[in-house]
Amino acid sequence: MVKLLPALGGGMVAILALSSAALALEYKEAPALAAEVAAGTLPPVAERLPDQPEVVTPAEIGVYGGMIRYGLRGSSDHNHILRMVGNQGLVRWNPEFTAVIPNLAEKWEVNEGATEYTFYLRKGMKWSDGQPFTADDVLFNVNDLIRNQEFAPTHPRYMSDGEPMTVEKIDDHTVKFIFKKSYGEFLNELATPLGQHPVLYSKHYCSQFLPAYNDNLDADIAAAGAGDWQTYFIQKCGDIEVPARWGNAERPTLDPWVIDSPYTGGATLVTLKRNPYFWQVDSEGNQLPYIDTLSSDVSQDVESLVLSVIGGNIDFGLRHIDSAANRPVIAENRERGGYRMFAADPGGGQHMIINLNLAHKDTGMRELFNTKDFRVALSIGMNRQELIDTVLLGTSEPWQQGDFTGPYFNEQLSTQFTEFDPDKANEMLDGLGLARGDDGVRRMADGRPIKFLVDVIPALAPDHVDLLEMIEQQWAVIGVDMDVNPLERTFFFERTSNANDHDAAVWGGGGVQIVGVPQQLVPLHHDARWGIPWSQWYNSGGKDGEEPPETIKNRMALYDQSKSTADPAERERLLKEIAQIAADEFEVMGVAKAAVTYGIAKNNLANVPDSMVNSWFWPTPAPVLPQAWFYRP
Amino acid sequence: MLLNYIIRRTLWAFPFMFAASIVAFALITLPPGDYVTTFAQTLSQSGDVVDETRLAALRERYGLDQPFIIQYFRWISGVLVGDFGISFEWQQPVAGLIWERLGLSFILEISTLIFAWGLALPIGIYSAIRKYSVGDYVASVIGFIGLAVPNFLIALVLMYIAVVHFGTDVSGLFSPEYRQAPWSFDKFVNLLTHIWIPIIILGTSTVAGLIRIMRANLLDELNKPYVTTARAKGLTEFNLILKYPVRLALNPFVSTIGWAFPQLISGAVITAYVLALPTSGPLLLQALLAQDMYLAGAFILLLCCFSIIGMLVSDILLAIVDPRIRFR
Repeated sequence: MVKLLPALGGGMVAILALSSAALALEYKEAPALAAEVAAGTLPPVAERLPDQPEVVTPAEIGVYGGMIRYGLRGSSDHNHILRMVGNQGLVRWNPEFTAVIPNLAEKWEVNEGATEYTFYLRKGMKWSDGQPFTADDVLFNVNDLIRNQEFAPTHPRYMSDGEPMTVEKIDDHTVKFIFKKSYGEFLNELATPLGQHPVLYSKHYCSQFLPAYNDNLDADIAAAGAGDWQTYFIQKCGDIEVPARWGNAERPTLDPWVIDSPYTGGATLVTLKRNPYFWQVDSEGNQLPYIDTLSSDVSQDVESLVLSVIGGNIDFGLRHIDSAANRPVIAENRERGGYRMFAADPGGGQHMIINLNLAHKDTGMRELFNTKDFRVALSIGMNRQELIDTVLLGTSEPWQQGDFTGPYFNEQLSTQFTEFDPDKANEMLDGLGLARGDDGVRRMADGRPIKFLVDVIPALAPDHVDLLEMIEQQWAVIGVDMDVNPLERTFFFERTSNANDHDAAVWGGGGVQIVGVPQQLVPLHHDARWGIPWSQWYNSGGKDGEEPPETIKNRMALYDQSKSTADPAERERLLKEIAQIAADEFEVMGVAKAAVTYGIAKNNLANVPDSMVNSWFWPTPAPVLPQAWFYRP
Repeated sequence: MLLNYIIRRTLWAFPFMFAASIVAFALITLPPGDYVTTFAQTLSQSGDVVDETRLAALRERYGLDQPFIIQYFRWISGVLVGDFGISFEWQQPVAGLIWERLGLSFILEISTLIFAWGLALPIGIYSAIRKYSVGDYVASVIGFIGLAVPNFLIALVLMYIAVVHFGTDVSGLFSPEYRQAPWSFDKFVNLLTHIWIPIIILGTSTVAGLIRIMRANLLDELNKPYVTTARAKGLTEFNLILKYPVRLALNPFVSTIGWAFPQLISGAVITAYVLALPTSGPLLLQALLAQDMYLAGAFILLLCCFSIIGMLVSDILLAIVDPRIRFR
């Protein structure tokens, strides 16, 4: 799924909002809001909307009313709410996940060297409490929070060459972000859920929790039992990936729905109600969202969520329920539950990727794992079709890694060595001089048996363990003694991503080249469990970890170049070059394509597409605009 | 004598609580990594780049970089003045999170206990007196099934039947409109219409176990000479059984009251998880998984307190029920 990068080459290119003037439209609003306007408790709709609201053209013009139930879990499910209300950043992804389009900013400009980004905010836009949203809010977010080291060290996303970005106010509705060096990826970063920081907090509300703005802060902190102002701030205003973001109904937002019953530790029901100041209208001038409320019971258990689906108590669902094992029961009960199924396509990546530790602490193991023929023999010694048919119920196909289609598709990277050929594998291992002992297990050069553990987190994906147990049997045939090592997740993280104590580990995803870091192509961070000391070397600027071999250093340099280049074509070329080197080196091996899964939507819930991207960076389903969904009467 | 014993036991509880708090805190910090590791892992799962300096800053703010003794001291000195600290995951004071859930756990556990005893004692007595009768066999078979089937499985099956055949949802303790409502008489009535399902599910195995215990104890007593003597003296059968052998057979029941107290917190975690009950079990489990140490710590500490209090209560009751038991 790659994609992206609006054309920036050749000088100043302005990208205009999809549809600008909506002045000719007469705005309409939900009946409940109209009643409030009539009662004088809310200003009229034309005053609540920006001067030029974004005009969305839905497949069908909707009617107001109704509630969407979507099925939350009680722990670590805050991002589920985010996916429903959307990440209202300066820009967002288009529905196809191929380009960045305007969102809070109606247009933007990028200078030639991609060091300056100028955003034009929508005039007259308001927070959910009716206060104006202006350039001052952006300045507050950047200067008082992103750049405030006391609050938290600046995230690398907002840095360039070790320096945090700076922001300049051009006028009340125009801001300019300035980087030290070229930063071609900035717009892509802003479009992901993680790039919302520049517009996350409202100055008029959240500033009261900062020491610089509130002289009585200490008393407030003590009253809230928070301990320090940072905790108090997060408690009240949240952050992108913490549950507290949905824990305070008072916090003003720019989202289509705002929290009504908050998501807190004891919550059993979480509801969000429409934001009367939401800044999008449909092509007939109806203010969005159509749906009145988002509501969710909080359950703990996935099985009870599935029961809710087949009982018809979920109106839209994807997260948690979309496993291969649940598909038959969910498909079978479509009529009873009154829902239809849609396809959720990850676009690229890998169901499970095996990382042998190429930077192993043990020199014997390291030497063995760094032999390409050994890795190739393991790969063709795996019967992927059998694994897919048995464990994944036939819902996938053999795959190493990488995008399924599009400009970044690389046939060699994705499909090499996926054919099952145990005879050839044995031949190759014999050729390496790895003779079998009496027990049938091959011996390394130093005489030890080839025996290693693969670390896995059962809670992350239960079928990873099932897959590995079958692979264990398949590799035994070629004389390799692998054992599955299921671990609790923090122990897994400590052991594999920090201490580098592992022989091998598995992980999901991998190889998708859009916004994330391609850690299966070049070891850049903690998820590259095939070269952790090399990633530590890279991230510490050579101080920690271990200097990587030339081929890796070469790819790291190419990656740095791609990040700073201002030209999207050049960036694509560099990333493809990295992928080609990785394909030739063949360091990591995958099992099967990340499967196209499914979600469910009630039959009368209109404007939900039959197929959508399934990704965290394109936070499904937000970019297909749930605010424009409605119930057909 | 009894008063003296109670005072002595109560005084002993303090050093024991202190030791228990150290062990509890040590257990919570024992798993590799800490809350920040879990947090980093969660971010990593969603594809975020976890920046080491940010993690270090978080660790410092939460005091997780300090040695065990200092962390423990900070925690316990807060607890002594009623401050259980902040839940890292929810960024809320722990005290605000636990009490409502504990209250509901308490209601559920007491109701289940009353249900189980109310059902198990008469059935147990009946099975013992009418040994090998049809009624005894029926009670035994049902009892064994109740013992053998895990509660959470019964819960799942019941939920499935309710959804698929009756189109209703049996999970939770309240209807949606009462979930967030403040306590009122209507809310209480609503609770009553929901709570019987978990009571029956949780009660089955307890009932089954108690029937077997009651039956076995009573059978031991029924053949003893004092029973024969009493019968020879002309006592009615009903009075005889209830007044002498049943009273003795109750001893093991009374001593299990002590176990019921910690169950208030940790009881039926999996069943509560499956049924989405707003009780303390699921929150404790989640706190442990997330290494949310102050939240988990508060629960574990209360668990220890309840165990100690429970044991004390059951010892005292035992002395009252059976005057033969004497304190030294």
